[in-house]
Amino acid sequence: MIVAERKTIPELVDILEGHKKILVLGCGTCVTVCLAGGEREVSIISSALRIASRAKNLSFEIEELTIERQCDNVFIEEAAKAVERNDVVLSLGCGAGVQAIAERYLEKPVYAGLNTAFIGILEERGIWAEKCAACGACVLDQYGGICPITRCAKHMLNGPCGGSREDRCEVRPDRPCGWQLIYQRLKGIGQLDRLKRIVPPKNWAPSLGGGCRVIVREDHRI
Amino acid sequence: MKHDSWLAKKIASGDFIVTAELLPQASTAIPEIEAAISFLGNSIAAVNVADNPHGPVLSSLAGSLVLVKAGMEPVYQIVTRDRNRIAIQSDLLGAGALGIRNVLCLSGHHQTLTGSPESANVYDIDSIQLIAAVKQMRDQGVLLDGTEIKGVFPVLIGAVANPDMNPLELNILRLAKKVEAGAEFIQTQAVFDVEAFERWIEQARNQKITENTAILAGVMPLSGYQDAETLRDHYMDLSIPDSIIERLKKAGDEGAQKKEGLNICLETIRKIKKMDGVKGIHILSGGKEKLVPEIIASLD
Repeated sequence: MIVAERKTIPELVDILEGHKKILVLGCGTCVTVCLAGGEREVSIISSALRIASRAKNLSFEIEELTIERQCDNVFIEEAAKAVERNDVVLSLGCGAGVQAIAERYLEKPVYAGLNTAFIGILEERGIWAEKCAACGACVLDQYGGICPITRCAKHMLNGPCGGSREDRCEVRPDRPCGWQLIYQRLKGIGQLDRLKRIVPPKNWAPSLGGGCRVIVREDHRI
Repeated sequence: MKHDSWLAKKIASGDFIVTAELLPQASTAIPEIEAAISFLGNSIAAVNVADNPHGPVLSSLAGSLVLVKAGMEPVYQIVTRDRNRIAIQSDLLGAGALGIRNVLCLSGHHQTLTGSPESANVYDIDSIQLIAAVKQMRDQGVLLDGTEIKGVFPVLIGAVANPDMNPLELNILRLAKKVEAGAEFIQTQAVFDVEAFERWIEQARNQKITENTAILAGVMPLSGYQDAETLRDHYMDLSIPDSIIERLKKAGDEGAQKKEGLNICLETIRKIKKMDGVKGIHILSGGKEKLVPEIIASLD
C-alpha cells in the first residue's frame, strides 16, 4: 500500500489560513489502512482545526467527507457537491489522490494534508516499512524476493557495502542491512550462486529518471 | 599499453608497497596540498586522494592533478555517491587526459553520514559496476554506451574491502567479485583486529584471490581513546576492539595516548607484514600526514 503521514496541525493551519469554508476529504483506501487519512483521521483533524480556528480567530467552517478512492474519477464524483459548496479542499489522500482532485476541480484550491512517504507494509503494530521503490523494472526474482534498491540505502546491486553489519544497516542502524537479508534468504533457498554474477548498471529510465511515467494499455483503449 | 602506472610497476616488482592518503580540505589553496605532500616523502608508492569523504572539499580529480604536477603518483578516488554514470565517465576521461594513472573505485560514505545529510542520493551505479566500467574503458576503449574513446586510458584499477565485515562468506564473495570485475589492487579498511584480518586473508588466499590482486592492508594511527571511540561510533565499517580503546585510555595524557596509538599501528604493521598474501600497507592517516614518515621509518 501507499504509506503516508499526517502533516502537523500548525502546518495545516498555515496552509489553510485565509480560507473559510474547508472540505476535509479523506480516502478509504491505502491511507485509511495506514491510519493517516481515513474517516477516523478526517474526524480528528477536523476537530483539531476547529479548535485551532477558535483559538486563533480564523473562522474556519469545516465539512468532513471520506470517499472510497481519491485516485479514481468514479469515486471523486461522489465528492462533487461537497467540493462545490466549499472554498477549498484539504485532501487527506496520497499525492496521487490530491492531484486527481486538483485536476478535476480546476477552479478550486486543493491542498495536501499528508506527506506521502512510500510503498510499504505494516511490519508490526504501529510500524510501517518501505518495501518497493517503484523502479519500473522489478529485480526481485534475482534477489530472493528482497529488493536491493529499496532496502539498501546505496541501491547496491552486487552485494553489501563495507558498512554492512549482520544486524543492522550503517545508514539506518535501527534497520537490518538489506544485503544481509538477501544473503540469508538466497542461502536459505539454495540460490547463493546468484550473488556471484556481476550485475551490470541498472536502466533507471523506467524509474523517475525517465520523467513522469505513463502506462498505455492499447488493449484497454477504446 | 595496459598500464602506465608507477604503482603498477612497484606492485609487479614484488617490493613491499606503502601507499598513503591525502584528505583535501575545503580550500582553494594549492600550497596547502603541496605542504601535505611534502610530508609524505619518496618511500610512498602512491598517494590516494579522497573523494569528499565527509562533505564537500577540493575535488579528488583536482587534488590528483596537483600530485601529478608535483611529480607524485596519485590514486584518484572516485565514489558513486555523488555522480551518475555520465559524470563519472566524463571525470575518468579527464583523469586519463591529465596523466592520472590509478583509479580507486568506491561507493563512498552515504551522504547522510557526511556534513551534508540533506543531499540527494545518486548511486546510479555501484562500486563493482564502476570497476567494470573503468576496465571496459581501458581494455575495450569504449564508454558504457559503446562510444569509442579516442586516446589511451592506461590506468591501474583499485577497489576497497572491509576485512571486518561479516559473515566472512559474504565478505569474500564480494571481494572475489571486485577482483573478477577488474580490481588489480585492494586497499582495505583500517585493520585493528589482527586476528580477524588473518582469517580474512586466509580465505582470500584459499580462494586464490591474492594471486590475482595486490592486497594492501589499511593501517591507521589513532590519536587517542576519544578519537577511537568517535571513529568506532560514527563509522560502522571501522571495527576498533575494546582492548585497543582500553590500551589508549591507560596510556595516560594526550601525548602518551598519541604515542600509544602510533605504537599500536606499528605493531599491527609488523604482524601484517608477515602474512602471506599481503603485498603492502595503505596508511590511513586521516589528515595527519606528518605521521607518515615516522611510520615508514620504523618499517625496516
